[in-house]
Amino acid sequence: MIWEVFRQENAGEYHTHCGNVHAPDAEMAKLFAQIQHGRRKPTHSLWVVPQPEVHEVDDEDTAFGGTTDKSYRWAVTYDVDASFAQEVADSEREQEEAARSRGDD
Amino acid sequence: MAAEGLAGPADLGDDEQEAVELLLHRLADDEFVLAERYTEWQVRSPTLESDLAVANVAQDELGHARLWFDLLEDFGYEEQDLIWERPPEQWRHSTLAELPWPDGGWADAVVRGYLYDVAEDLRLGALEDSSYGRIRDRVGKVQGEEDYHLEHAQNWLERLTEDEDGRGCVQDAVDRQFAHALTLFEPGDPDLEERIDDLGLRTTPLSEMGEEWLRRVVPFFESLDVDTPMSGREDVTADQLPAVVGRDGDHTDDWFDLYEEFTHTYDQVDVGDPVRIMEDPDDE
Repeated sequence: MIWEVFRQENAGEYHTHCGNVHAPDAEMAKLFAQIQHGRRKPTHSLWVVPQPEVHEVDDEDTAFGGTTDKSYRWAVTYDVDASFAQEVADSEREQEEAARSRGDD
Repeated sequence: MAAEGLAGPADLGDDEQEAVELLLHRLADDEFVLAERYTEWQVRSPTLESDLAVANVAQDELGHARLWFDLLEDFGYEEQDLIWERPPEQWRHSTLAELPWPDGGWADAVVRGYLYDVAEDLRLGALEDSSYGRIRDRVGKVQGEEDYHLEHAQNWLERLTEDEDGRGCVQDAVDRQFAHALTLFEPGDPDLEERIDDLGLRTTPLSEMGEEWLRRVVPFFESLDVDTPMSGREDVTADQLPAVVGRDGDHTDDWFDLYEEFTHTYDQVDVGDPVRIMEDPDDE
């Protein structure tokens, strides 16, 4: 049986998928995951999840968002110096990244 | 209660040093030889995962051997005196560590791990308050890794004994190994062992540890429906022990073969000085 392994580096962060282990049950999966995924990198926590319990929907099944130009939602036309507030600077950077990943540039 | 603290390595009396050396050899030799045997499982374990787990255990044991050998180097010995050029009849490990693996017996690896790791747990407990500071300081690091070993061995045993075939393999392994495991608590030299206890180097004598070991190991196997040759309530007598006990330097023939094997490259390459990749942390 295959168990997908998710690793969290520090408390509070997301558990990120990092690979899998073969094990007969959850106890053994946890033991093996410690060696294979928690020994060489700083680790706060590991999750092991039975692979059949991971359900997927992919871009063939559905049209995901994030592909159309929603720049009208962003207050990009105001001429402000974004450096006066961190959240404005962050927001501006997000908009630029979103535009780039859409291929608008 | 902890005995009065002993001096550092440079200021020990001869009698004290002799006792510290025997104690360290019991620890280091067991770990080193068992790690050699575990290493034979590398790339041969039943699954990739079990392979990595046993390799990890072997690596831990080698690391522990280094921690104890390091303390022998404090007395002026060098690595070649302690390992590569030490005559095989001067090694003080238990015969449990040196036994070869019968063909295809993963149960052997798991059973040996369990028998050894319970003993390891007890003997580390008896070193937590050792009167020799440098031993005391190292115990925590070793204990941290041993928890995994014990859990690993127990989990495997519980699963192997779930069906008839698996339980048969575990039973055979226990039958082969139990007497050798008893040597873990045999004295190397009875007078010296007493001195180890009197100096407070170890806070529980071997015989008491041996009884405690039986009180843990026997009921665990009982719970798995596996028989042990002892009930756990009687004293260990000579006829329950194997013909050689290892601790006094007397070993099985398999040890001499293993020794040949792991010193082979060192002898052939004739390096003289083994390579050191890091400084001894105790050296200023």
